Amino acid sequence: MTNAEKHDARASRHQIPVPDASVSQILGLPAVYVKGARKSFSGREVLHDVSLSIARGEVVSVIGPSGAGKSTLLRCLTLLDTFDAGELYYGSLRVTERDENGRASYSKDASAKARMQFGIVFQNYNLFPHFTVMRNVCDAPIAVQGRDPAKVEAEAKQILERLGLAEHAEKVPNQLSGGQQQRVAIARALAMHPKVLYFDEATSALDPRLTADMRRIIRELAADGMAIGIVTHEMGFARDVSDRVAFLLDGRIVEEGPAEEVMENPTDARVREFLATAED
Amino acid sequence: MMGMLLSGYRISMIIFAVTLVGSIPLGMLVALGRLSKFKPLSLLMQLFISVLRGTPLMLQMFAVSFMPYYVFGLKTDANFPMIAVLISFVINYAAYFAEIYRSGIQSIPRGQYEAAEVLGYSSRQTFQRIVLPQVVKRVLPAMGNEVVTLVKDTSLAFSLGVLEMFTQARAIVTSQRTMAAFAVAALIYWVTCLIIEYIMRRIEKKLDYYHD
Repeated sequence: MTNAEKHDARASRHQIPVPDASVSQILGLPAVYVKGARKSFSGREVLHDVSLSIARGEVVSVIGPSGAGKSTLLRCLTLLDTFDAGELYYGSLRVTERDENGRASYSKDASAKARMQFGIVFQNYNLFPHFTVMRNVCDAPIAVQGRDPAKVEAEAKQILERLGLAEHAEKVPNQLSGGQQQRVAIARALAMHPKVLYFDEATSALDPRLTADMRRIIRELAADGMAIGIVTHEMGFARDVSDRVAFLLDGRIVEEGPAEEVMENPTDARVREFLATAED
Repeated sequence: MMGMLLSGYRISMIIFAVTLVGSIPLGMLVALGRLSKFKPLSLLMQLFISVLRGTPLMLQMFAVSFMPYYVFGLKTDANFPMIAVLISFVINYAAYFAEIYRSGIQSIPRGQYEAAEVLGYSSRQTFQRIVLPQVVKRVLPAMGNEVVTLVKDTSLAFSLGVLEMFTQARAIVTSQRTMAAFAVAALIYWVTCLIIEYIMRRIEKKLDYYHD
């Protein structure tokens, strides 16, 4: 029995979503797990049989050239798009079901529950421009999760403090720099208590100092037990921040392993070639 | 003279206010129907908007005013012209507002919807909390234009014999053989528009606390 099959057996026994996160901890389930994922756009397959998992406290980067399918993978993981086939789990929650044609089907209920398991920091942040920083962070926990406003605000203050945004709480996003806006986007995601946090091109808009800050923030979040998924084409950042990298090329993961190993001694010739050109 | 003009002005302002109160929300419903994924509804609203923007408001007023008699064979009382004016104004302006709202709604970047979706907002919450407030800011200048136009459009009620300010002014001019009443009416229309422009500027300034 392979690990994946063991995982399947365990997961199918727990198809009824278990709300207590500690269950997936005890079972050692990854925070997010996707297996055999496929996706095509108008007949052209952009993801072929992609499998990937991220454990609690682990930072995983998906790297590769533009057009390799990184963005599609991230959109499907965040349910902004759907896999055509494959299985997607968040902890013990099974998000996709197989329909009679073997395609992935998504129930509204499972999708809604899955959305509470992850957050994403978009490449251009997508903050709500008409809300203050504080409201950006607090609105969804109050309006969507129905949590107590006073508690949410108290917690939001701590999160903003931690990210160095305390003095900006009453500003609106366009009064902040790009780096600050990105941290607001992180705060907004964290306030929802996600288990997995995704970054789409985490550092494309940042200068070296801010990139170093971002690396520190991501490592701290991972140290707190958050699973972090990063999609990037910036090799240096991926190597510095990640525990593990997966190299996506033409919709397939052609190489995967500890960051150092994959980046220093890739076995796949195409990865070697790409890394060589990326260093120029 | 001023007494007649002011009583006409009161009627003009009633037409103005009722039209706004009715057409601002109705226009939103039409815009949402127009943007609906349910094709028949969307096409119906497209037709509604196209007809109402493509035919003269005065003709629409006549249509509404004569409809009870020609379609239902009903006799209408002396108040009916005013009611016909109000109905046709509300419907006509709703069509114009709907197009303004539609362009405003469609100008909100996709990323806003995606951020809201990932955070778990329902589509209703997304519209109410994220989209609508941003749409209001974006459509304000275009709405201001329409509102100013509406002030002057109220004079079209003249053609159904409603005693609004222009009707009164014309009556005074005919009986007194002096154009003074027209001049005074023009001044009142203009001052009204100035006030509206001032109010619109205040609202725009209030929403100026953010840019996107």
